[in-house]
This record gives sequence, structure tokens and C-alpha cells, in this order.
Amino acid sequence: MSTQRAYTDSPVVTTTVRLLAPFVLTYGLFTLFHGTKSVGGGFQGGVVAAAMVVTLAFALGIRQTAAWLDRRVLLALVVAGPLVFGVVALAGVLAGGAFLQLDVLPIPKAVVYGTEAIEIGIGATVAAVVVLLFVRIADGYAEPLADGSGVRTAEEVRSDD
Amino acid sequence: MSLPFEALLATALLGFVLVVAVLTALVRDVLTAVVVFAAYSLGLAGLWVLFRAPDVGLTEAAVGAGVTTALFLLAISRTVRPAEAGGIVDLRSIRPRSVLVAGVVTLALLATVPSLPAVGAADTPAFGPVADYYLTDSAARGVDNAVTAVLVVYRGFDTFGEVAVVFTAAVAALAVLGREVEA
Repeated sequence: MSTQRAYTDSPVVTTTVRLLAPFVLTYGLFTLFHGTKSVGGGFQGGVVAAAMVVTLAFALGIRQTAAWLDRRVLLALVVAGPLVFGVVALAGVLAGGAFLQLDVLPIPKAVVYGTEAIEIGIGATVAAVVVLLFVRIADGYAEPLADGSGVRTAEEVRSDD
Repeated sequence: MSLPFEALLATALLGFVLVVAVLTALVRDVLTAVVVFAAYSLGLAGLWVLFRAPDVGLTEAAVGAGVTTALFLLAISRTVRPAEAGGIVDLRSIRPRSVLVAGVVTLALLATVPSLPAVGAADTPAFGPVADYYLTDSAARGVDNAVTAVLVVYRGFDTFGEVAVVFTAAVAALAVLGREVEA
């Protein structure tokens, strides 16, 4: 049993996912950046974006997608949420207010932009955590999907080989 | 639920969720169970949207139906699928004690339902003066999504804690999942 099989993809699945990906990622970013104006926020936007990356991995090959993702960047994104939150919270103290007091920040529309900064941080953390978990679990995953269905058993793989 | 259409839709979705939940426990094939469980999540997401909680619905659809399903699929891809794994589990193999426990818990939960306020009732605690304050004050501060305002502006400390929990859980899970992440 080889760990690197030739990846045979279904044209229907790959085409659908390719067409869908830009729209879903855009929607995820919209949800992330528009958390103060409309439905959603950092958590939702991050999860939608991460779910799209996971879908891409299922359609285009888990190992290929995992190899394409830079883990240093992912780890930096994981740290972004607590870091940004802490910085914004302490900025309130530095500006003469209380911990997490946003309306004293010396920027226009301080509450809105402070909230947005925190939301973007949360989105980065959530998206990176989901993708990293997926990549880590996929690492122990011995046989790349040959048909994108994820249902091939060891027996089926052996009989194919 | 003033409109009968909404009541019908809610009933249909609740029925769907109930059937799919029981099926998740009863189907023999694990892959089928994972897919049926994703359908359960999707039904719940629809219910949340119907109950005017699109933020929760979005989360349920993305996390419950999307990411969780993907993680489950990855996990079961490492298991062996029996050849004759179709249909429903043999009902005789279900332990009566388990059914009894599930039934008693369900009845106990159902017994609390009459003490809930009616959907949309004006005397619901959620419609107290605090909610009015949040709605007017958050709009005045330029944050139109009251959910985001509560999460970050009024309950920022809790949300900070939640981010810390996500971060800590991720660190712990990644550590457990084996070697440190190779860069």
C-alpha cells in the first residue's frame, strides 16, 4: 500500500468546488468584516472560510491542500485572536479608560473599528484552528482519497491495487 | 409563530430533526450515520434561522454540518467498513436500559417545556429593559448587529475568555495529535 497514490478526481466535484470557492470565501470575508453591520461576525466568517478550505481539500486532494498551506502562517493566525483582543483591550487602558473600554480610543468611530479589529482577530484564530486541526488529522490519514468520497476502506484500496 | 406557515415549517423541521436524530443512532453504517448527522445539523440550522437567530444558524451550518462532518469523515476513513453494513441495527441488540434512560431524560426535558414563555411573548425575560438598552445603545454607537455588540462591546470580557478557550483547546488538541507542527 503506497501512501502517495495518483489522485483521480471527479470532474463534477472539482468543477463545482472550484466555481463555489471564490463565492464562499468572499461570503466568509464579508461576514467577517461586516460583523457590526449584518449577520455574523468573526466566529462565523472564520468558520465559513475554514469550511471552504476543508471542502477544497476534499475535492482537490487532502495532501495537496495540506502541502499548499503554510503552517507558520496558520500558527501565526491562531495567535492573532487572543493577541488582537488583548492589544485592543489594553489600548482602552492606555487611552485613559478601562480594560476593554472601546469608546475612549483616539480613532474615529472607535467602538465600531475596535469591534471590527477584535472580530477579525477572532475570525483568524477560528479559521486557522479549524484548518490546522483538519490538516493534523489528515496527516495521520494513510491513504489519500482516490475518488473524493472518503469511504474507501483498506480492503477496497487493497483490492484496487 | 403568528403565521401558520412558520408554524408548519417549524413543525416540519422539528419532525425532520427528530427522525434524523433517531436514524443517526440506528443506522449500522458509520458513514451513513455521519451523513445523517450532518442532515440533522442542517435541519437545526434551518430552525435557528426560523427562530430569528441567523448568527447561530450560520454557525450551526458551518460547524455542525460542515467542519464536524469533514473531521468525522477523516476519522472513519481510518476504520474498516464491514461488507454487510447496511440498513438499521438489529433492534434486539439495543439494550432496554439504554432506551429507558433516553426515554426518561426526554420526558424530563419535555416536562420543563410548559414553564417556558410562549415564543415572542412580551413578558419573556429576554425582552426586559436590558434588551431595550442594548438595542438602542448599540445602534447609537454604530454597531447595527446587536449580537456582535453584546458579544464584543458589552460582554467583551466573556468573549475574550472564549477566544482564550478556543486558543487553549487548539494548543492542547494539536499537542495531543502528535509531534509538534513541522514548519
